[in-house]
Amino acid sequence: MIHLYAIAEGLGELPAVEGIGGAEIRPRTLDDLELVVSEHDGAELEPTEEAVLAHARVVDALAAATTALLPARFTRTFEDEAALDSAVRGQLDNLRRALSHVRVRVELGLRVIGASEEGPPPEAATGRAYMEARLEAVAGAERLAKDLHEPLAALAADSTHSVATKPRLLVSAAYLVETGDVERFRVEVAELERAHPDLTFVCTGPWPPYSFATAAET
Amino acid sequence: MSESPDRPLEQQITLLELVDRVLNKGVVLSGDITLSVADVDLVYVGLRVLLASVGTLERLHEGA
Repeated sequence: MIHLYAIAEGLGELPAVEGIGGAEIRPRTLDDLELVVSEHDGAELEPTEEAVLAHARVVDALAAATTALLPARFTRTFEDEAALDSAVRGQLDNLRRALSHVRVRVELGLRVIGASEEGPPPEAATGRAYMEARLEAVAGAERLAKDLHEPLAALAADSTHSVATKPRLLVSAAYLVETGDVERFRVEVAELERAHPDLTFVCTGPWPPYSFATAAET
Repeated sequence: MSESPDRPLEQQITLLELVDRVLNKGVVLSGDITLSVADVDLVYVGLRVLLASVGTLERLHEGA
């Protein structure tokens, strides 16, 4: 079985890092693309804690050693090299386009967590007043999330912004930023943080561009 | 080096973001993946990984 870590452009020497379960990582060239894989005996690789972290370590090391990198999602392993090659060949153009989109760019993650939840408004005498107050609170949170996201998205080449799934998680976003703009981005985050002392900001990265490594995923 | 042990929230979120990226982001090649089934499995596994591995993240930081 073949496990795929990433698809690379401009990979020189392979970094000295072990693959999943201590497996040796090796490059496999396909046209102008370089795949980094490891070989495993037996059944499907399980995404255990160790395996997930090993995958991430390889991707990190490759990101530092390439001009552009598409991290692979930890999904099903490939039966053999022929299966891998045919999966890649089916998407060559998409992969090339995706590589050029992430070239010399890194991903920064941002989560913004709201102040502790307020209970229902105490003066809501009627069900209708309560509902109106709730709707106003939701609209307010959406406006705030937009105000936080937009100045950062303006500094990025691309961004993903998931709809908040938990009431206190105002922003859960990823930004694709030119490597030269990372500091500027962080300064902007710090400014937003100063302007909103009641919110908790967590800016993570730079990451390899996991959130922007998309081929034709259907 | 033990990096910012006083920021447990930041560390937890960093780990959550790492696991989320490896399992849910990144390029997918196989057209034949049964995504719905795979997603459920991965979400479940992801939670288990999260619960298990704050200590591992610290080891990673030390090893970096």
